Amino acid sequence: MRLGNAAILNSGLNVEERNRFSRLDLNFAFVILALNLIGLINLYSATHGLFSKDKMDLFWMQIAWLSVGWSIYLGITLIDYKLFTRLAYIFYGLNLGALVVVEFMGRTALGATRWIDLGFMRYQPSETMKLVMVLVLARTFATRSYDKGMSVTDLLLPGVLLMIPFILVVKQPDLGTAGVLVAITGSILLFVGVRRSILIFAAIVAVVSAPIAWNFGLKEYQKNRVLTFLSPGRDPRGTGYNSIQSKIAVGSGKVLGKGFRKGTQSQLEFLPERHTDFIFSVLSEEHGFIGSVTTLGLFVILYLMAARIAIGARDKSGALIVVGIFFYLFWHVFINMGMVIGILPIVGVPLPLLSYGGTSLLTTMTGLGLISSVAYRRYLF
Amino acid sequence: MSDFLQTSEEEAKEYLPRYKVIYGTIIFCALLIVGRLWFLQIMQGTELRQFSEKNRVKETKLPSPRGLFLDRENRVLVDNLPGFDVSIAPQYAKKLDETSDAVGGVLELPGRAIADLVRKTQKRDGPFRAVKIKDNVSLEQVFKLKLLRWDHPGLAVNESILRYYNLAENGAQLFGYVGEISREQIPKFNEFYQGKFVFDQGDIIGKSGLEETWDTTIRGRDGVAFVEVDARGREAPGENPNYFGFKPLPAIPGNNLVLTIDKDIQEAAYKAMNRHDSIGPRIGGVVAMKANGEILAWVNTPSYDPNNFSTGIPPQVWAQLINDPFRPLRNKVIQDHFSPGSTFKPIVALAALSEKIITPSTLVNAPASLKFGRRLYHDHSKTGHGNINVMQAIELSSNIFFYKMGISLGIDRLAPYAKLLGLGAKTNINLTHEVSGLIPSSEWKLKKFGEEWQPGENLSNAIGQGFVLTTALQMAMAYNTIGLEGRVMKPYLIKRILNQDSKVVQEFEPQMLRDATQPNEYGVVIESKSFKTVKEGMRRVVNGERGTARASKLIGIEMAGKTGTTQVRSFSADEIYKRCDSRPIALRHHGWFVAFAPVENPEITVAVLAQHACSGAVGGAPVVKDIMMAYFEKYHPELIKAALEKKGKQAVKMPASVQEEAE
Repeated sequence: MRLGNAAILNSGLNVEERNRFSRLDLNFAFVILALNLIGLINLYSATHGLFSKDKMDLFWMQIAWLSVGWSIYLGITLIDYKLFTRLAYIFYGLNLGALVVVEFMGRTALGATRWIDLGFMRYQPSETMKLVMVLVLARTFATRSYDKGMSVTDLLLPGVLLMIPFILVVKQPDLGTAGVLVAITGSILLFVGVRRSILIFAAIVAVVSAPIAWNFGLKEYQKNRVLTFLSPGRDPRGTGYNSIQSKIAVGSGKVLGKGFRKGTQSQLEFLPERHTDFIFSVLSEEHGFIGSVTTLGLFVILYLMAARIAIGARDKSGALIVVGIFFYLFWHVFINMGMVIGILPIVGVPLPLLSYGGTSLLTTMTGLGLISSVAYRRYLF
Repeated sequence: MSDFLQTSEEEAKEYLPRYKVIYGTIIFCALLIVGRLWFLQIMQGTELRQFSEKNRVKETKLPSPRGLFLDRENRVLVDNLPGFDVSIAPQYAKKLDETSDAVGGVLELPGRAIADLVRKTQKRDGPFRAVKIKDNVSLEQVFKLKLLRWDHPGLAVNESILRYYNLAENGAQLFGYVGEISREQIPKFNEFYQGKFVFDQGDIIGKSGLEETWDTTIRGRDGVAFVEVDARGREAPGENPNYFGFKPLPAIPGNNLVLTIDKDIQEAAYKAMNRHDSIGPRIGGVVAMKANGEILAWVNTPSYDPNNFSTGIPPQVWAQLINDPFRPLRNKVIQDHFSPGSTFKPIVALAALSEKIITPSTLVNAPASLKFGRRLYHDHSKTGHGNINVMQAIELSSNIFFYKMGISLGIDRLAPYAKLLGLGAKTNINLTHEVSGLIPSSEWKLKKFGEEWQPGENLSNAIGQGFVLTTALQMAMAYNTIGLEGRVMKPYLIKRILNQDSKVVQEFEPQMLRDATQPNEYGVVIESKSFKTVKEGMRRVVNGERGTARASKLIGIEMAGKTGTTQVRSFSADEIYKRCDSRPIALRHHGWFVAFAPVENPEITVAVLAQHACSGAVGGAPVVKDIMMAYFEKYHPELIKAALEKKGKQAVKMPASVQEEAE
């Protein structure tokens, strides 16, 4: 911030402009930009390999998405985030509508119905639902206080708000996204505060219902994924293949990596989906421990900055928005990296800012824009 | 931080204790990931690096061999041969210039060019894609190259499957050729087949002819192999369970096609077209069909060698093919339609008989010319033919007779008969690029040109000029119907589909489309006695004293047919009587000859279109005669023998060759 101010003082802007500009959290933007850059370099490698001739265009598409993403980021920064919380229920209704449309006429990819073809892009409503969930909860909790934490009746409203989209997403079926939806909502509830007795009860219910869900709730391939995660040798050609090849890719990167576009695992097509869900394994293979930890470090810096912004927020809804989006980012990054390095089962969750994908990128940039908007309106000293 | 807290708004304050939990979670999860990365990249890094570099097990595609094409006696027409190609993997070729020189020495190619090719491709595709240097390397070269491999890492000799066309130029347009799927085709094919077949870069697909239309039947299913690649880039496909215990999946070879083609007749047809008489090798198409619709031979000339396509066609050969004015790549039997000329006359005769305009014995005056409207229509005979009946009109190919039929019939009464016999519509023989030809009507002309049908056009169309257009295959179909006295048989090329164990997957039977003597959807019926009358006229074309094709009489069998000559362009008065072979080849007339034999109980129909071959009698009939003779020598040698013996008794001695065979 201080560096930014110094630069602006000499920039010849008038006081008001100077003020407006100085309120932009430039450091926050720089960290995002750094991750974008790493993402692009890495995506270039992942899409310009020997067997990826058909994917070359995706790199340029991603650049196009990025410029759209940054426009959204700046646009939202300048809009008061209160507008979004005010409209939260309208967003929620529209998004539910989109999920229902997907249910009936969405396009199928890899066996699951997830998106609507808009012509210029494939819109994946389950992805935006995560953000809308944050907004709806921020709106709900901004006007409420719970001294001893939420009671069962307090949980009723957020519970219903979660269950409707959750069921629609599970039906697609997209267990990964549904899981993230639960994780984000759960995190926000915990953040706001839940009574201890309820937490203990929920833990017991989870333990008891797990076997039931296992036997009746999960489809065969979903069970397979979990089983394979527990022992990858079980089905090395099917679901285990990705997991094993990904671990080899990450490990073979060693300290410094094999170098840009020299990752044999990724370039020789051992890794499926390497430009989307497995993008981090390309990075780990080609840039090693140093590259991976640097990237993770940038994400951690982004989290810490977000937490600071939340603390400095003008009001409760601002703080809740920032915290919600922080959870959104946090869970995505953790689940994706965890899957790539083999500490979590394989679920279709993209890595924010690094994976290829229009919806993911635009949603992330929208979320970051909201954080930036809260930062723009915090108290300055 | 504390000064923040005191001044922040009251409401948000209640969350402050929670941020400690958030910081804790961030740090915990980050450490977890860093720890795992440490474990994989630092502790296990060396092992996993070695694994990834030295003992790669990669899933690769095992291309399935395409099904063979067999003839009706199961003789192989299109085969698969083991081939070899040479490639260099830039990733491992540390001494690229030396390697290129060494390879160039063996392949007799400049080393510099090879090195440039590798560098150029590497720039585009990255270092991991092996660059193919040459396809179809000879065994001797393979041996030399394999020795070189030890000193030149990155050099590889790969086995491949080569599509081999046993008959080479013969039938190339029918069998078609194969090639690599193009980049634009990949998404289209994958969309079309919806996962039934999955196409990738480098896959071989049928690009024309039967290879194209039967592609999905004969392509089989690719298998999966796990190939271990060592640090020097040498691949070793292993049958043994590999590191992960992945099991290879064998390729399933494609189904074989048993064609209706008879290799002997096919070869005879090719020879008959490429004859060396005063006119020279014919340009055009010929099709021989059994009476039940089975195609026995299908030849187009000039032709090309599809084997060139299997091994990557040299650019100069390709340029030559597409610039050839006589279009060797075209399947002229179905892809080009022409005016049928006088070969249309028997169909007009059938219409006139059926419409009761004439009876078999009606005599019509056929002078040298006929005035209609303000125009004088000429016959090709300067003297005229006098009073003739319909059989004589066919035998002599009288234009005036058929002009008069055309005037009496009018196009709209004629057209249904032509269509009934199979003209003016696709035969649906399941080959790409088939054209439908054209049988005009007054309604068609009004729609197409917005003009009324002119009475004068009845004349030109009645002798197969004007708008009428047909393909050679349609003519064969129509004449076969005349021969069978009404049964319209569908021409077909595939007898049966066999799987790899030679079990029959599907059998194709002859198919009668309709019977022209019975009521049908064309609204007209031809009585069998009309067919008999026309057949008699056509018999005389070959066997009569004055028949236009009397020079092409068969030995021992009576053939019935009709000649046709169509103008490439009209000539001025002083040019018209010039000798044909004194004209430049592109200005010579096209010659048709279509015939079936034996007359009474036809077994085979042959249609030939000989472009720029002067006339049907000179250009077409000898070709048909040779094909017919080849057929009867193979299937009814006793008929020919008996005829020769009879002749021998009369003329004292048998020809030497036949005598030898008899002994």
